[in-house]
Amino acid sequence: MNLEEYRALFMVATLGLALIAAAPALSVVVPIRSGSERFSELWLLGPTHMAEGYPFNVGVGEDYSVFVGVGNHMGCSEYYLVYVKFRNRTQSLPENSIPSPLNSTYEFQFLVADGETWESLLMFEILDASVHGDSMFVGNVSINGVAFPVNSFSMWDSEHSGFYYQLFFELWLYDMASQGFQYHDRFVGIWLNVTAS
Amino acid sequence: MSVSKLFFVLLILFVFVAPVFVSEAFGADGEIVAASAIDGAEGVMVSAYEAVLDAEKAGANVSGLLARLNVAGEYLANAHVWYGLGDFDNATRFANLCYDVGEEVKNEAVELKNEAHGLWVTDLVVRMTGSIIGVVIIVFLSFMVWRAFKRRYHKRILGMKPEVVSGES
Repeated sequence: MNLEEYRALFMVATLGLALIAAAPALSVVVPIRSGSERFSELWLLGPTHMAEGYPFNVGVGEDYSVFVGVGNHMGCSEYYLVYVKFRNRTQSLPENSIPSPLNSTYEFQFLVADGETWESLLMFEILDASVHGDSMFVGNVSINGVAFPVNSFSMWDSEHSGFYYQLFFELWLYDMASQGFQYHDRFVGIWLNVTAS
Repeated sequence: MSVSKLFFVLLILFVFVAPVFVSEAFGADGEIVAASAIDGAEGVMVSAYEAVLDAEKAGANVSGLLARLNVAGEYLANAHVWYGLGDFDNATRFANLCYDVGEEVKNEAVELKNEAHGLWVTDLVVRMTGSIIGVVIIVFLSFMVWRAFKRRYHKRILGMKPEVVSGES
């Protein structure tokens, strides 16, 4: 190895050591982005806090409960909104990133830090339901102790033998750019076979 | 009918009819007040969230603020629910509660952000100074080592005695 080659070796070694010494300052100036995917979770658990035992056969005047939860993996704290909606089989669900046009009966607003979760108990009760021939009318539903008029008809489903309604939850996220909540393309729900006994 | 009788009949009519108009006017007024309170609460909630986000970006621990802002969010959700049900008194009450909590959180988030920013600047100065001193020391030592190495290298080369090989042929 001649002197020029030794000089090159020294310069590379010096540059490497200098970069190591400059690393603390560089880490402040050069942002290091994690390559992980950013997303939010939305889940629904049964009354025993497990993914089982969801209310299905629902009678008038009885209390039922589910847990709704949200997980934040968006890289920073996020401001969420969960709309609780009640529908019959013919009314629209969210589709192709567009939320259901139904009015919400209840809502939750909360903030979740990155990597953290939020969960809340939701108790509901069908306050009044009446059968008229092959259709059922549900007038009011109570959610967490507050009565809401839903005024919803459902036709008899002969295939599954019941009057079916769905309680579903839409996840919305506050968007800084548009200064408003945007549908976050996630929803979960449970089917309810309502009996007017 | 005398004037006094007519006046008496009109007075009785007024007593019975006036509450209807007054209550409707107050109802409409209550709706406007509730809508305005909800608007204000929503604005504070968003600005508090933005302040918390800024504090978080500055490196502050915002978990306590998030917990309190969740309480404000609960109040705001309740305000929306009661407004939807036409209970404007409760809607206004919850919106005002949200406003108060949101405003407190916003102010604390701004303070926390300023504190965190001060710490960040101190940290930056320490890091920059440390890095600059480190780089200068490494370059200086490297230069010294290089000089010493070069001297030894030249000495070794110059110290080599040429061998005289006698030609036999």
